[in-house]
Amino acid sequence: MPTAEELRSKKQVHYDDVKEGQEMPPYVIGPITPTHIFRWSAAIENWHRIHYDQDFAVYHDGLPNVVAQGTWKQSVMPQYLKDLCLPDGWAWKVSFQHRAMIVPGDTLTCHAKVTKRYVKEGLGFVELEVGMKNQDDVETCPGSGTIVLPLRGGRPVPYPFVPPKE
Amino acid sequence: MATAVTKLTPEVKAMVGVQGEFVEASWWVVEKEGLRRFCQALMDPDPRYWDDEFARTTRYGEVVAPHIYVSYLGRTSPSAGDPVSRAFKEDPVSDGIGGVWEARGGLPNVPTDLKRILNAGNELEVYQLPTLGDRIYCQSRYASIAERTGTDGSPMLIVTTETAYYNQRGDLLCVTRASAIRR
Repeated sequence: MPTAEELRSKKQVHYDDVKEGQEMPPYVIGPITPTHIFRWSAAIENWHRIHYDQDFAVYHDGLPNVVAQGTWKQSVMPQYLKDLCLPDGWAWKVSFQHRAMIVPGDTLTCHAKVTKRYVKEGLGFVELEVGMKNQDDVETCPGSGTIVLPLRGGRPVPYPFVPPKE
Repeated sequence: MATAVTKLTPEVKAMVGVQGEFVEASWWVVEKEGLRRFCQALMDPDPRYWDDEFARTTRYGEVVAPHIYVSYLGRTSPSAGDPVSRAFKEDPVSDGIGGVWEARGGLPNVPTDLKRILNAGNELEVYQLPTLGDRIYCQSRYASIAERTGTDGSPMLIVTTETAYYNQRGDLLCVTRASAIRR
């Protein structure tokens, strides 16, 4: 994952820089520990015991271990797309399904591949196939996203973001 | 020959479009310490979320929060007592979430005997980021309810709830859609 300094000085990726079929730079997160999972529960005040009480997770709910929260994945995926767009692009949409569980010891790779690109109202729209795979190449949340990038020499992506007229 | 009984009853179908109240999402404003804890748990060190001086040089002009932060602001108000103690008093083997967490402006329950709830997926649309001091408001509705058959042949419902979040000026910040499997 990028550091604060890398995010501070990140250079803009322009629409002109991406091609259909291109893999965007991945994120690697982990290994995930029970402490990471507990810290997320504490931060958002999610007291579901399957996230920090191993006996409850295993013996009551029949899970392999404590498991990472869907809300964490729901937050990391937009973060990944946001970082791809920095400093002045916009991560407009993301959607995904929850598939495989994330458990302590997992190392995760967020990935994105360009499936379509088009220009509308002077802005570059890039559609992506996205996901987060574990170290065994198992997909935990397959989905899609749309990011908006400026064209080289084009107008800035508006903020607040205004979607194009259909 | 037996006919499968649909779980997508007229009463269930009637829930599509039903809205919750327009409510303030949190008992307090977007503030720096809660944001610090959230971003560290997310493992997002972006200085746009904490460095005032740097944030002034960005397109935002001030410290902002990740849009998804607004969906976790429904924390327990001090006036609500201690929901954790209450839950374990009622059920010594509480799972720690049933009866503990209640969404503000919550929707009425979907009238179904399918009790198990699984998180199926999420969809997010983002328009503007919250800033420090913002008061966040939200309104939820049932966007769609569909019936599917599980791999074991049992019926299930896919219930999608849409929530729109706004700041105190009425600006739309983001829209979230959460799909839950009821089986």
